[in-house]
Amino acid sequence: MLRHALHRLVLAVPVMFGVLLIGFLLMQVVPTDPATVRAGPSATPDVIAEIRADLGLDEPLYVQFSLYVWRLMHGDLGASIINNVPVSQELGATIGPTLELMFASLFWSIPLGILLGTLAGYWRGTLIDRFIMALSVGGVSVPVFFLGLVLIWFVGFQWQWLPFTGRGGPLWTMDGIRSIILPAVTLGGVFVGPVARMTRTAVLDVLSADHVRTARAKGLTETLVVRRHALRNAMVPVITLIGLQIGFLLGGAVVTETVFSWPGVGRLAVGAILSSDFPMAQGTIIVLSMGFIVVNLIVDVLYAALDPRVRAA
Amino acid sequence: MSAATDASEPIAPPRPGILSRLMREPGAAISLILVVLLVGAAVFAPLLAPTDPYDNDLALSMAPPGSDGLLLGADAQGRDMITRLLYGLRVSLMMGFAAVAIGGGIGALLGFLAAFYRRWLDGPIMRLVDIMLSFPAILVGLAIAAIFGPGIFSVVLALSVATVPLMARIVRGSAMVVMRLDFIEAARATGMSDARLIWRHLAPNCLSAIFVFATLRFGQVILLGSALSFLGLGAQPPVPELGAMASEGRNFLFFAPHIAVVPCVVIFIVVLAFNVLGDALRDALDPRLRV
Repeated sequence: MLRHALHRLVLAVPVMFGVLLIGFLLMQVVPTDPATVRAGPSATPDVIAEIRADLGLDEPLYVQFSLYVWRLMHGDLGASIINNVPVSQELGATIGPTLELMFASLFWSIPLGILLGTLAGYWRGTLIDRFIMALSVGGVSVPVFFLGLVLIWFVGFQWQWLPFTGRGGPLWTMDGIRSIILPAVTLGGVFVGPVARMTRTAVLDVLSADHVRTARAKGLTETLVVRRHALRNAMVPVITLIGLQIGFLLGGAVVTETVFSWPGVGRLAVGAILSSDFPMAQGTIIVLSMGFIVVNLIVDVLYAALDPRVRAA
Repeated sequence: MSAATDASEPIAPPRPGILSRLMREPGAAISLILVVLLVGAAVFAPLLAPTDPYDNDLALSMAPPGSDGLLLGADAQGRDMITRLLYGLRVSLMMGFAAVAIGGGIGALLGFLAAFYRRWLDGPIMRLVDIMLSFPAILVGLAIAAIFGPGIFSVVLALSVATVPLMARIVRGSAMVVMRLDFIEAARATGMSDARLIWRHLAPNCLSAIFVFATLRFGQVILLGSALSFLGLGAQPPVPELGAMASEGRNFLFFAPHIAVVPCVVIFIVVLAFNVLGDALRDALDPRLRV
């Protein structure tokens, strides 16, 4: 168990190093010189040179890299070249809404996916199974923005039931809940299919296992067999696979945030790239990558904790 | 020598009945026909399109489908939607094809090398694959767009990079199984070079796995590429590309919903067709790959 966790942790180190390196290189290839930008348009070459020395830009690259990592560790991600707001401040304001959106999406899509997958697996080969699997393939084939635009058009525009731009407020207010419904339905909508598919496979595996046959043989009701003996064991692979799909969820979140003008990190990142705001782009990409790596690490360790067979492997 | 000729034959050649078996399954048959039609429409877009994709007539701006002889209407600039769609399909499919060919090719090569030189290359290659898998495609897309600037090149590069580790894993798994078979040893005994052994004996026996995965991946790549273009990081207007067209149409959603919806529907059909076909191919060619 501990060994497995350590192994994963050791593997995460080069990955994190890679993220930092890519972030650093991003600042090296961009055409703008941070010193010139900071000095302003009317600065003399002397002033610019002074600022260069101040920022450590005249040092060799490896010194600059260590300096950059050092600043990063202290939460200094630089400032936007558009409005000079510190990147860390913008990130602090957008991480909350992104996490909110992700949780709100998973909150309904995972239970629904597990339910649909279980039904499909249990009634394998029947019309129900075929219908649910067709729904699932359709779900993974639909562009997130399509789903979002359709919801905006009908629910938001035609019927005027729910707001479709921005975040109305914190989740404990009525406006907050109303404004998150459409984005959460959109992002969760593309997640139901994969969850249902994975659950179905896991349930099929478990249903043919010996212990399920034993449970049936001793006369348990079908509901109990499925709920207590099949589903509980099927949950282990499902949880891991859901963890592995976090990248997919993240991609959906970036698009969903853009479609609904949701003030999250994804939208911030896209906006920064489109406006060539390199420090902001760099900061958002680093934070999103780091968050993703940490989540993966947690899922990995959790998996080993849930399933003793993984630890040996 | 008959033994030598036997050894050069792939042990499990794709059976001739694949196509007929596919056509028996209604879903697979429909998706196969759709894929052929879509690819055909993309290839022959310049012949099929009624006008030029950049020809605009502002008098026709946002013309709804069916009006003025325009079957699917016109976009905000008054450009014929059908023409734009045909060219958009062409650009989108080419981006997807390039990404799967480049990323899949490099990934397959890594997979072969890992399986063939198991003792000293498997470890390093698989670590590299693990590291690459630590980055979801969307982050690869964002990072590459930030470095090289938005554009088709960035999207194809990002999608290729995101495809490499996935293909490498699939091919390695498939090649490991083949490497354990006797005919590899037999071919080696004839004094064949490693490169020839990989190319003539290992690769042909992994083809079905590669083919199935490439088909499934094609759908995902199209979806991802259109999302990146929708975000403004891919194809730039006025280039017709399905995701970029949907993004342009989004600005006119409340006045002329067809401008955004029609390209979205086309993306959905393309991705669905490749996904269903990929699933069916997997079942027909290589049931072991079933996830």
